[in-house]
Amino acid sequence: MRRGFHPIVQLLIVVVLSWFAAVALYPIVFMALTAFKTSVAYIQNPIGPPDGFGYVENFQAMVLRFDVPRLFANTIWYIVLASIISLTVSIPASFAFAKLRFPFRQTLRLAMIATLIVPAITLLVPVYVMMANWGIVDSYLSVVLLWAALAVPNNVFLLGALMRSIPNEVLDAAQIDGASYLERLLRIAIPLSLPGIVTVTIFNVTTWWNDLLIPLVFLQTDERKTITVAAATILGRFGLDTPLLLTGLLFASLPPIILYILLQRTIRRGLVIGAIK
Amino acid sequence: MRDAALEREPQNTSTGATGTAVSVASRRGLTLRQRESLTAYLSILPAFLLVGVLVWRPVAGAVYHGFTDWNGATSTWIGLKNYARILHSPEFFTALRTNAIFALAIPGILLVCIVVSVLLFEETPGWRFFRSVYYIPTILSAAVVGMLMRILFSTQGAVNTMLNAAGLSWLTHAWLSSVPTAFVVLVFVFYWQTLGQGVLIFLAGLSAIPGDLLEAALLDGASWRQRLTQIIIPLLVPTIAYFVIFNLIWAFVGLFAIVFTVTGGGPGYATTSVDLLIYRKAFESGQLGYASALSVLLFLIVLVISALQLRLFDRLTTD
Repeated sequence: MRRGFHPIVQLLIVVVLSWFAAVALYPIVFMALTAFKTSVAYIQNPIGPPDGFGYVENFQAMVLRFDVPRLFANTIWYIVLASIISLTVSIPASFAFAKLRFPFRQTLRLAMIATLIVPAITLLVPVYVMMANWGIVDSYLSVVLLWAALAVPNNVFLLGALMRSIPNEVLDAAQIDGASYLERLLRIAIPLSLPGIVTVTIFNVTTWWNDLLIPLVFLQTDERKTITVAAATILGRFGLDTPLLLTGLLFASLPPIILYILLQRTIRRGLVIGAIK
Repeated sequence: MRDAALEREPQNTSTGATGTAVSVASRRGLTLRQRESLTAYLSILPAFLLVGVLVWRPVAGAVYHGFTDWNGATSTWIGLKNYARILHSPEFFTALRTNAIFALAIPGILLVCIVVSVLLFEETPGWRFFRSVYYIPTILSAAVVGMLMRILFSTQGAVNTMLNAAGLSWLTHAWLSSVPTAFVVLVFVFYWQTLGQGVLIFLAGLSAIPGDLLEAALLDGASWRQRLTQIIIPLLVPTIAYFVIFNLIWAFVGLFAIVFTVTGGGPGYATTSVDLLIYRKAFESGQLGYASALSVLLFLIVLVISALQLRLFDRLTTD
């Protein structure tokens, strides 16, 4: 660590690292630049820069043919609902596991956490048949409920660990002041674990935004799809118009990129939590 | 709210949320401990209902229907026939090969991530910038990245065009229509999306290494390589274990989006992964019993990996 590198070695290191950075960025830059090309220009030279940025027909087609605003609205609406459901059931459970004593507490907690290892694909077929019987296949409810349920074990795992570190003195003092259990949960536990709640929410939101399998299986009608599924299915129908396809992919990538730029620090913290513990 | 508080029995001040059981009879005839248990069960009930109905019961359903011929409406018990068919047909092993190739590719990206992280950690100018740039591919959805890569590696795509322009025409391929190169592209996509994750966690692991330890080694005249192999790498072992296991599990249950979008499992079935095979059997050919049996096998594989993980972490934390 520090010191002791010959300037030439130092330069070489920067060159290697820059090469990795170029490989990481090129596909994204390619996607963004090609969005401004006609399909003829793309076929003539796939890697050349566009002739200026005046050609915006691909972007117009996103609204007219690909219905991006609706796909965004769908995705956001499903994610908001799933977040509300999964947090509403996870927070009280985490608090109870962290601060209450009751028979089978450890067994129940382990059962919940062990659920973390169940792969979504294992339950997909039976869940599909069950939801078909409930009549909610091809409805947002199927995706929202499944997303919410699959997030619960991880939420309980992380929030439970966090809430255990809330000092008992604070909770006891509130209880002496006459705060009911619900009040202690709402006025003390939730505010004190807000950073953790934000972290798991960011984690869940990105997982759901990027999820292909579950919405692909459950949502068949184009108007109900999420942006990620639409990118993998509807866009494919544009077939040979590669610039149009890439514009669609660009739209699907922008929200995660913007979210990342705005919330870099929080996202990094959330991802590192599991790794160094 | 105040009423609720007044309704409570006067309590021993030592009885906090985690208080010891004091058998004070409450108005409802419950002891404090029983009330605490009741509160707890009511608090965890919604979570268990949701997970029970949407996760546990379906998993049990998959195990049961793995022994049946099932079309969604009716199912007939056929014992182990699904499993016998799976183990006698090549498709399962072809699919498993795809997962295995990803699993075997992990050491390569592990090495790249460690080297890049250590280089960044050596106070390379602009390391924050590099870390951010490397991370951008990680935040994109695998589906979008897969579509993008399919375009880049198409026959007339950017990669072949660049190779031609660089005078490396002999390197151009119809990347996705033959087997070894299709896997090359898939593993490239895996590496491309994983570098950022690896650099992030290894940088975090590196910054947890006490600085004076490295300073002391430097004063003792340890070379760069000695410090790397004798201090840094041993202290990174827990992080390495986390990275390997996370990606190992991913290699068995997380390939769907990449394979579905980049190759669609082709050419033929050559790059189909187990999860994609389950999807095709269930939702394209309607063999729900067979697909259930496949998904149970996949779950068993993940269980074995997770058991190994638990033992490994036990050893790492007790040593």
